[in-house]
Amino acid sequence: MSVIEYDVIIIGAGVAGLTAGAWLSGQGLKVALVTAGEPTACLSTGCIDVCAKSDDPLQGIAHLPNDHPFHLVSSGTIRQALDDFQQIMAAMDMPYTGGLENNRRVLSAIGTFKTTCLTPVTMQASPQNGNERIHIITFAGLKDFYPGYIISRFKNASFSTYDAGVSTTMGIAANFEDDAFLEAFILWLEKQHNREDKIAVPAVLGLESAAAIIKQIEYRLERPVFEIPTIPPSMPGRRLFNGLKDHFRRKGGMIYWGWPVVGVEKTGRQIEAVMAQSQGRPNSLNARAFILATGSFVGGGLEAKRDTIVEKVFHLPVFVPGEREAWFDQDYFSMNHGIGRAGIAVDSSFRPTDCLWDNIFVCGAILAHTEALKNGCGHGFAIATGQAAAKSCLEHIQ
Amino acid sequence: MIKTDVIIIGGGATGCGIARDLALRGIPHCLIEKGDYAAGATGACHGLLHSGGRYAVSDPIAAKECYDENMILRRIGEKCVEPTGGLFVRLPGDSKMYRERFLRSCDDIGIPTEIMSSTKALELVPNLNPDIEEAIKVPDCSIDPFRLCMLNIKTSEIKGGFSFTRHRVTEIVQSRGRCIGVKATDAATGDVKEIHGNIIVNASGAWTNLIARLAGCDVPITLSKGSLVITNHRLTDMVINRLRPSSDGDIIVPNEAVCLAGTTSLTVQDPDKITIQPAEVDTIIGEAGRMIPHFNQTRIIRAFSGVRPLLKSQKLDSREISRGFQIIDHQNGMYSIVGGKLTTFRLMAEKMVDTIMNAFNLKRACETAERPLDGQEELSGYPLSKRLADMKNIICECELVTRKDVERTIEQTGTRHVGDIQHRTRLGMGPCQGGFCTFRALGIMHDMNILTAEQSVQSLREFLQRRFRGIRCALWGDQLREEQLVEYIYLGILAMEKNK
Repeated sequence: MSVIEYDVIIIGAGVAGLTAGAWLSGQGLKVALVTAGEPTACLSTGCIDVCAKSDDPLQGIAHLPNDHPFHLVSSGTIRQALDDFQQIMAAMDMPYTGGLENNRRVLSAIGTFKTTCLTPVTMQASPQNGNERIHIITFAGLKDFYPGYIISRFKNASFSTYDAGVSTTMGIAANFEDDAFLEAFILWLEKQHNREDKIAVPAVLGLESAAAIIKQIEYRLERPVFEIPTIPPSMPGRRLFNGLKDHFRRKGGMIYWGWPVVGVEKTGRQIEAVMAQSQGRPNSLNARAFILATGSFVGGGLEAKRDTIVEKVFHLPVFVPGEREAWFDQDYFSMNHGIGRAGIAVDSSFRPTDCLWDNIFVCGAILAHTEALKNGCGHGFAIATGQAAAKSCLEHIQ
Repeated sequence: MIKTDVIIIGGGATGCGIARDLALRGIPHCLIEKGDYAAGATGACHGLLHSGGRYAVSDPIAAKECYDENMILRRIGEKCVEPTGGLFVRLPGDSKMYRERFLRSCDDIGIPTEIMSSTKALELVPNLNPDIEEAIKVPDCSIDPFRLCMLNIKTSEIKGGFSFTRHRVTEIVQSRGRCIGVKATDAATGDVKEIHGNIIVNASGAWTNLIARLAGCDVPITLSKGSLVITNHRLTDMVINRLRPSSDGDIIVPNEAVCLAGTTSLTVQDPDKITIQPAEVDTIIGEAGRMIPHFNQTRIIRAFSGVRPLLKSQKLDSREISRGFQIIDHQNGMYSIVGGKLTTFRLMAEKMVDTIMNAFNLKRACETAERPLDGQEELSGYPLSKRLADMKNIICECELVTRKDVERTIEQTGTRHVGDIQHRTRLGMGPCQGGFCTFRALGIMHDMNILTAEQSVQSLREFLQRRFRGIRCALWGDQLREEQLVEYIYLGILAMEKNK
């Protein structure tokens, strides 16, 4: 067994964990992150939803229910965290558009508008209403994108199909990283002689270089081009994850990839170490404080049993929204499913309430009462609570 | 207006079986179904082709019918029957007296049985509870009820019979006290078809009285709801029954890659308003888990219920009501056929058509027991190698359904309903329950100009709500995790809104 010492160990490589990790590394701490695998961020649109309850996201937060954990983060910290995020992503050549002044709209793959706060620059030109004249490009055999859904709501939309030689989201995105492929695509586009004001493309414009690729297409076609987020696998989600991950590493952070936590060592009111499994042998990762950012059910931080819900790393007490019958509403679209409230309740320093240990901090989607879908609190919430929990953690260590 | 001899209302196994029998005896007919084939109790059952063992003690006549039909269906329908064999297992505490009665009754009826030690039974089904006292082997089979209906209706199609799915009968046309036809509304277009015939057969199962009342008749039936759950894995290769009087959760049936377990039995009033309670799901899992302990850990992908139309009885427990069937002559040109089981559908159809032949004063013997079901040549089971060869165009990853399969089904049936594609290809039947592939299938239907873009979105919305009804009561563990992902995709990434 190997024993490795750190100041802080973060469990979970999603947006919350990477934000907390980068911030703490920036403060000069020795930080490691352990993760069982890819985070749900890779499945996401890459958009940064702060709060969709009102046009002004901060005002939306003010109107959230009293027990919502967003109230534990000061508006100063929210601003700082999102500014930091935008600077990080700009430095990684994946700039984000927007700001906390108001929410933006992003066209979805079924033609609805998704409300969000910051968007990848590749979605900057996304139309803000259904009257805009757009031309949609799709790819032969791409099974996760159907322009028909969008045309049902956009009377001024048309589409054409490009044969990329491959038909998966990842395959097409990889092709776009090749200059010759991009050039052929642009030449084809030019020959289409589309007259619409904007060009829409499913989000496959490159693995990492989407911002540069879209700039080039816009320059040649002399009109705005934007990406439409697709169902998983989602390139903008992967770009977001890769950007944050590389930034964390640049700051000196260490990532233990594919190391699920299998045990915990504790003394008195302190967690001493987490045991992570790798290549068949356990590793003891010791630290002075631990940040839990393992996400909700999809992320794997929570697991529902038939009659209860458990937190999988520390077995922290979980807020369970009543009996199983109450977890899901009868109406699928109600956005009011009790399960959205499940999670870990925390105090103002992001320590779990009724917890036996003093050095655990919790952030991101695993927090109780978040109701991420209903409130439109997504990555923005993860970024804000990630930085807030990291600050509390630093105070604790000092 | 369409003129025919016999009008069949209901496209379950009984109605489809009657259509096939009429076709083979050369009688013009027209079948009308308000949904898709097998949409009622036929498609919402275990998919068990009974050996008769289940009813041997309580209802020897029904048991004998089941056994005889089992033997016939294995012969004529090898592409929709899997001869798995079945075990009746006796758990510690289960009555030994019932075992004696069971063996004696099976013997009297002629159902072959083989008594097995628990060791021998565990060799056959390694997942069985090792604590079982013993097992009795019987010739149970698993049957695909959707495919069964399609193959029966195929014969009708070949012989020029009419059939209209997605058509709801709204009126029975009467003249001088006799039923002479029906009016049926096309759910897609709202168009009304008037169909005239000499005899009307009401084979609408749980909806029997809704139809009978259109002609001023009443049929004495009790509606009994049975709920089932589907697991993510095939935990047994044989049908597993509990060796005790019929009770909740005492049958497990393997079907393709999954298992079905159930049922419950609760009297209901309205077949269109049935819900499943979490307690029912827990009961089924608990009972099935006593026979196959893995049930307690295995992922449940869906729960569903069907409504049995049972002959009316004074008995309080609907489990004790006979599973036999009855033909009711309303003396006005309409007949209702009620009761029975999926296993005995062919026999029911034979007796019904015998009655019709008598009424027409025609003589031609039934051939349905001898002739193999039409259309089986086209089916080659589930050749994995074939499907994997077209990996690039796979639309449903759980069940390996390709874009071509979807396009072919649409071309062949002209359907506008994604549910019809599911019944014919198994699209969306796997662990994600259509979470990914239905979005794609509806996109393809729009590409093919079958649906307008608006209809695709509306169908998607309806599908999600329908799907949710089936999975809502079985959400925990990995299935809940998957459901949260699907919810995130539709309500988050795609920002799908409630119907305006």
